[in-house]
Amino acid sequence: MSGVQLDGIIKRYGAVQVVHGVDLNVAEKEFVVLVGPSGCGKSTTLRMIAGLEEISDGEVTIDGRMVNRVAPKDRDVAMVFQNYALYPHLNVADNIAFGLRIRRESKEVIASSIDEVAGILGLTDYLDRRPADLSGGQRQRVAMGRAIVRRPKVFLFDEPLSNLDAKLRTQMRAEIKRLHNRLGVTSIYVTHDQVEAMTLADRIVVMHDGRIEQVGTPMELFMNPVNTFVASFLGSPPMNQVTAKVEKVGSDFVGVFAGNRLPLARLGDLEARVGQDVVVGIRPEYVTPATDGVKDQVRIELDLVETLGSEALLHAMLADAPFVIKADTTTAASKLSDVTGFTIAPELIRIFDGETDLALAGQDRPA
Amino acid sequence: MSDASHIKPATKTAPISRGARIVDVLKRDWQLYVMLLPTIIWLLLFLYKPMYGLQIAFKDYSVFRGIANSPWVGFEHFETLFNNDQFIRAIRNTVVISFWSLLIGFPVPILLALLFNEVLNQKFKKTTQTIVYLPHFISSVIIAGIVIAAFAPSAGIVNTAIRALGGDAIYFLTKPEWFRPIFIGTGIWQEAGFQSIVYLAAIAGVSPTLYESAVVDGASRWQMMWKITIPSILPTIIIMLIIRIGNILEVSFEMIILLYQPATYETADVVNTFIYRQGLQGGQYDLAAAAGLFNAVMAFTLVMAANALSKRYSRTSLW
Amino acid sequence: MRNLTLSLALLAGTALSTPVFADGHLPIVEEPLELSIHLHFKRATAYDENWPVEQAAREMTNIHLKNATVGSNTDNSEEAFNLLLASGDIPDIVGTTRIKEYVNQYGPEGAFQPLNDLIEEHAPNLKAFLDERPELRAAITSADGNIYYVPYFPDGKYGRAYFIRQDWLDKLGLETPETVAEVKTVLEAFRDGDPNGNGLKDEVPYFARQWEEAVRLVTLFDGRTSGSDTYHDFMVDDGQIKHPYATEGYRDGIKNLAEWYAEGLVDSEVFTRGSSARDFLLSENLGGMTHDWFASTSGYNRLSSEIDGFAFKAFAPPASPSGRRLAEHRRIPVKPDGWAMGFGNEHPIETIKYFDFYFAEEGRRLANFGVEGQQYEMVDGEPKFTQEFLDGGPVNAQLYQVGGQLVARGFPQDYNYEIQWTNEIALEGIALYDQGDYLTDQFLGVSMNTDEQKTFDKSWSSIRTYMLERQQAWILGTGNVEADWDDYMATLEGMGLNDVLSVMQSAYVRQYGG
Repeated sequence: MSGVQLDGIIKRYGAVQVVHGVDLNVAEKEFVVLVGPSGCGKSTTLRMIAGLEEISDGEVTIDGRMVNRVAPKDRDVAMVFQNYALYPHLNVADNIAFGLRIRRESKEVIASSIDEVAGILGLTDYLDRRPADLSGGQRQRVAMGRAIVRRPKVFLFDEPLSNLDAKLRTQMRAEIKRLHNRLGVTSIYVTHDQVEAMTLADRIVVMHDGRIEQVGTPMELFMNPVNTFVASFLGSPPMNQVTAKVEKVGSDFVGVFAGNRLPLARLGDLEARVGQDVVVGIRPEYVTPATDGVKDQVRIELDLVETLGSEALLHAMLADAPFVIKADTTTAASKLSDVTGFTIAPELIRIFDGETDLALAGQDRPA
Repeated sequence: MSDASHIKPATKTAPISRGARIVDVLKRDWQLYVMLLPTIIWLLLFLYKPMYGLQIAFKDYSVFRGIANSPWVGFEHFETLFNNDQFIRAIRNTVVISFWSLLIGFPVPILLALLFNEVLNQKFKKTTQTIVYLPHFISSVIIAGIVIAAFAPSAGIVNTAIRALGGDAIYFLTKPEWFRPIFIGTGIWQEAGFQSIVYLAAIAGVSPTLYESAVVDGASRWQMMWKITIPSILPTIIIMLIIRIGNILEVSFEMIILLYQPATYETADVVNTFIYRQGLQGGQYDLAAAAGLFNAVMAFTLVMAANALSKRYSRTSLW
Repeated sequence: MRNLTLSLALLAGTALSTPVFADGHLPIVEEPLELSIHLHFKRATAYDENWPVEQAAREMTNIHLKNATVGSNTDNSEEAFNLLLASGDIPDIVGTTRIKEYVNQYGPEGAFQPLNDLIEEHAPNLKAFLDERPELRAAITSADGNIYYVPYFPDGKYGRAYFIRQDWLDKLGLETPETVAEVKTVLEAFRDGDPNGNGLKDEVPYFARQWEEAVRLVTLFDGRTSGSDTYHDFMVDDGQIKHPYATEGYRDGIKNLAEWYAEGLVDSEVFTRGSSARDFLLSENLGGMTHDWFASTSGYNRLSSEIDGFAFKAFAPPASPSGRRLAEHRRIPVKPDGWAMGFGNEHPIETIKYFDFYFAEEGRRLANFGVEGQQYEMVDGEPKFTQEFLDGGPVNAQLYQVGGQLVARGFPQDYNYEIQWTNEIALEGIALYDQGDYLTDQFLGVSMNTDEQKTFDKSWSSIRTYMLERQQAWILGTGNVEADWDDYMATLEGMGLNDVLSVMQSAYVRQYGG
């Protein structure tokens, strides 16, 4: 049961509270990603788990043991830092062995551990080099190696990929995932990059202003964001959000905005909101671009087409706000500049309360 | 793409001459060169121009005749110096005092910096830092006065303590065997605090995540000091060491003048004080210049050697 | 030289057109004449035309000095002088401390004009002064036979004297010591008898501001420590140059002094106590006896207002075992300070007349007392400082500020200037010293030629260092003078003392005629 449990974790710096009671259960072998914009408290939360920050209130339990007052080294966690925290004066082998030496492991254990880890991470040829002589990706691997070699109960990652360029990041992301699959160690991973979160996580924890907004599998969060924040944070490009007034036509609901009438799903919750504003969430991927002549299309003013190869992003204005559509180029490439609007199936629209920003009930789809 | 055909291939333009390149560089970065200028002028004026005067070490120099018109005497002054037992003694004293100052005095500021780094209470840290920096800002004359008073046989604090412990008072400053410890100790007391600033700055430059990572790995403070702090500031330490070795023969001359006595010349008289006394006797600038030149050549050799060694055995070097 | 002849010719020309005044008549020139001057000593690092003394001198002589001092920003006169030389432009007049050394070296090289003929022909007062005291003329003569500078001639005989706490003597029922044995008894009584009555054995029987004054006690045992007012100087004994530290008397003196030191009769901290020793030990009621300047030491009797009965009195030099009573330290009659004439001076006659002016009555009074009506009034034909001036603070310091008593000027001092502000107790002491014949002739220095100087420079500094090292070691008890003596003398010889003495002897014979 080497899971991690957070119960009402609070962090205060003097009078300023930055983490407001976080509850989270991380199961054994689970890969959980804490994601959120900078300053949301995700790193602080991770550092409290590691023991680098004192916990102002609440309890952290690792492997069934309350560790609030346990020194970092005795929590049996290993951490990978954003800037890798490699010792510049030590070579790769010594960097990897640092933790073992501190723990006074025997020479044989250290040697075999270095070999094993270097094998896993493909560092065997670089063991004699110093960090200054390594590429970013190699340094990242050494940092991982330092964590792995200790065989801890929990891995903690603090934005480990944010110093890498995009290509390396994609590659390392896959490696981390593979490694986790192979080692099966409970991992908590902090990032502000929702792509990393989506790709790596068993479960994602979206944090905002020191609070957890939503916890769930990537697809759950993608399909069924509980509020506009989560909706706008996950997905690339993020979900478009348009404020619309609800009207009822017969037994059907329509969202009215900027002269458009958008058919909405038949939700019980909408009944009470007829005549009120709701936020209509439309994923760029779910819309079908429409050209002149298509009936019932929502009209947009297209101003830019970004071609990405197999797909394209159409940047447009809708109700004086930016609106993005992701379109497939293989079928419609030539016509993209002619797009005048879009259509979308009502069940693909996510509707949020106009005041609380919370998703209306009854529209969750199976993830 | 079609535009590319209008651009002339770069290889066809004439190669730019070296002179033109220099002009280009000057034009581009002239502000930087203007800022560099005062230093260059200073160097030329105060360090290179005086080198012209070094030739008086080989001349029978008269201030009135001037450097150019004084007659050459070859190595006469050097012969005079090396035939003088007191000069040989002064060289020996200089080297011994410097060696011990370096051996004992060099690690102290590093130690101080490491200690300060471990102090968590900011108020206590600031106070102690101020106290140890303070002697640096006090003039040597006053420092010497304090030392003389402290080691005075009748009412000095040291002898008072010795008497309280049942010992006999010692007239320290007239004992040749005590001069070096007192002088070296004074030097450390005076400068160690201030010198520690360099190391504190170096320590401040060590990434905090190195320590965090070590904490997670289970390192104790002691282990972090040995395995992170010291290796991280090692390049600074080596550079400082090379610089110190370059100054090894520059024993703090005024402090010696203030503290020594004929009774302690045996261990206290260094090259500079020897020159000082020679100079008093009839303004023998040529002889003093010869001794100074000898000093400089020795120091230069030492720095070169230290730098070469450091280059070979660590990766740090001055140049 | 061509320049000089040229300027002399020019001078001859001007001399024709302007009426020449009889010697000693003022003004020196009819039309005002400007001369440039470098004037530098510790108390005045530049010449100031606004000094009242200088304004008066200008009025009288019509010669107008213009400041051309180099290195006014330092109070190190040697540094300033070297800067001046290095600049290559030597003003008409150069006045500084230790000028003798400089002119003896650079005069023969052509930096300064020889003054012998000029003095002979145009400086009747200075000539008369030197004719009267041929030893002084000899003392300022350079190795090449020329005189290159006009010195500052101090007046008055006495410098330092032995001082003792008269009230302590009275308290312990002791007489003023007349012999060295009695001195020892007195010092022992000071040490053991608790004369300051505080119940502690904290008295310092003999103390000194300069440790060399502890060595001076050697003279009480028939030794010598210096031949002049400078410490560790050579001396003349029967026409022979000797060094006091290489004489038998010194050996015996050091042996006794070492005993005194070991017994605690001499301040155990004498080597490091430093210049504040007198001030500290007297005002703390701890010091018993010293050897120091008459005037300033007498001044400490002001402490009688704080320390009951305090009386610090001068006493005559005690007799040595052989019966000698010697005041070794006295004022030297001629200083190596003064002024000289730069090689480029185009008015040597006027300049020497100007130099001579300060040896005539008006000039000497001006240089010594300041300006009549300002600093002094004539009373019964004698200059007397005004009460206001005497009350205005230390007289010598005040005089420096108006341009009087400048030691970088060549002039004969008048001891009367000092008597007027010397306190009673000092005058009493001086009278006491005047009763006996305690003084001895001084060694006034020799001017060596280049070869002699080379021999001297090569060895002397090291010999002196060695002498002082041994001296302190013996006094401190880390060596035994009697056991070490033969080695010591052999080492001195090995270091070239005899060579040094012989070059000095030849210079001495040349200069003073043996």
